[in-house]
Amino acid sequence: MSRLVDRAIDAAGLSGVAAARRAGTITAADMARLRDADLLALGALADRVRRDEVGEEVRIYPSFQDDSQSSGQAHSATIVLPSADHELTGLELLREVAIARVTGPYAAAVRVDWTSCGLELAQVSLGFGANELAGQITSKRGLPLADGELIGVGKRSRWELAQTQKKRELAALVRRAGREPVFAERNEFAVTTNESTPRQEAEVG
Amino acid sequence: MTLDVVVEKIRAGQRLEADDAVVLFRHPDVVAIGQLANDACERRHGDRVYFNRNMRIEVTNVCVASCLFCSFAKLEEGAPGAHTMSLRQAWAELESRIHDPPSEIHIVNGLHPGLPFSYYEELLSGFKRIKPDVHMKCFTAVEIHFFATHYGMTYREVLQRLQRAGLDSLPGGGAEIFHPEVRARIAHDKATADEWLEVHRVAHSLGMRTNATILYGHIETFEHRVDHLLRLRALQDETGGLQAFIPLAFHPDGNGMRNLPAPTAIDGLRTIAVARLVLDNVPHIKAYWVSMTPEVAQIALRFGANDLDGTIVHETIYRAAGSRSPGALTTAELVRLIQEAGRIPVERDTLYGVVREYPRAILPEAALKVRDRKATKHLEVVS
Repeated sequence: MSRLVDRAIDAAGLSGVAAARRAGTITAADMARLRDADLLALGALADRVRRDEVGEEVRIYPSFQDDSQSSGQAHSATIVLPSADHELTGLELLREVAIARVTGPYAAAVRVDWTSCGLELAQVSLGFGANELAGQITSKRGLPLADGELIGVGKRSRWELAQTQKKRELAALVRRAGREPVFAERNEFAVTTNESTPRQEAEVG
Repeated sequence: MTLDVVVEKIRAGQRLEADDAVVLFRHPDVVAIGQLANDACERRHGDRVYFNRNMRIEVTNVCVASCLFCSFAKLEEGAPGAHTMSLRQAWAELESRIHDPPSEIHIVNGLHPGLPFSYYEELLSGFKRIKPDVHMKCFTAVEIHFFATHYGMTYREVLQRLQRAGLDSLPGGGAEIFHPEVRARIAHDKATADEWLEVHRVAHSLGMRTNATILYGHIETFEHRVDHLLRLRALQDETGGLQAFIPLAFHPDGNGMRNLPAPTAIDGLRTIAVARLVLDNVPHIKAYWVSMTPEVAQIALRFGANDLDGTIVHETIYRAAGSRSPGALTTAELVRLIQEAGRIPVERDTLYGVVREYPRAILPEAALKVRDRKATKHLEVVS
């Protein structure tokens, strides 16, 4: 895999940028090159930088529509995408995520807000340098995963069960991207899940 | 077996085998797999990405089959939500668009036990009367098998009669997962894998082109997916009649597998990529935007797909299963999706004849901006 990535980065003319990133000497010319670079090669470079600098964990900041919980406050080395003032296509978002990872501060948190871009794109962004996911879970449609387990559950316990279920689905989403989920709430990394995925557990109904 | 070994085989132009394909499915670096598929796609098609102006009609959702994944079918006429169009209602769908007609009508139905075979013949001939040059891509192999058993004909007889009435090609639906371990559980009472493949084999022998699909992301394993791809590749080696392969994502709402999660975007991109690399003899790999969402389908254009399907207009099967994709896309929207992916949009007919080639966008996708994206359906790309 390493050779394949090396070749892709080299073929896209990004070897110099990779070296500059390691040396901490990214220039404006490097940044301009990333704007025009082959997207997948750029993604491969960003993914390598992510792996080297922040590892395999993905921090998740889920927030149900409840004002008492924030979706995680960003500290100074956190880059949040997509930014509120720009609507991006999927490909634009992936490029922005990759550029943020390659040109941002060392070991920065690159956070993607699924409320803006959808969970599908947020998951794909994990392969382009992102290492944090944040967003609100507002309804069944907030996640692309079924919540059949809520059928027949009383209204009172439904909300808590929905939270648990959705968190489990989020964790599965991250694992299916080949990464390790770590939940953070109220900006504290309070919960670490090691559950099996819903797919492994689910049975045909 | 490592990815490096598979990469060397790809670079040497060697055909991938089952073990190679499983490595590609299992490897965690989906971007690297996408890169390999993108290279293969660009070697074959350059930057051209196809779409067409088509129209989807489901004339009946009454169906005797009991597929676990289906949210569309109703068991009998008169059941809540069951519908069967009269011939006039079906033809009116085309007449209502005759000012801007589609080049293709794509019809897929339930297996209705109460309709005479003449209904389907008249359905086709009626559309051809309204627009003689419209391409009729109708009836999955599962439907053709049902017609043959229900009306007492061979596949060849069914297809020849439908051809005489106006049938031009077959869509790829009904393939689901070929492997009997899975098929017996999710679709036990319709055409088997061998029967599905035989219908396509006969269609190819009659000069028809067909497509093929896979329904991924439910109870199947990667090995089952690979088995599916290899069976299609073997058929294509034999007949050469498959035009396009279309991965279809399982959607769980309202069906017998509602407890399963839907496959994720990364799974969809990986499936597109592996299909491109394994199906070396099938020219076109389609990112079906109804199944994947337009956003993910656009990204798939960098993971080995070279076709976005079409305008669709009126799809109900995926919507019944919870798809959040829009019901239709305009030509302008499809062109924008392709241009912003850095590709050249090519409107095609069903058989991949070029209708119109659009210009490549001058700027890379990151520099394109769309004006007032939410306010208008007629999207304008500006620099």
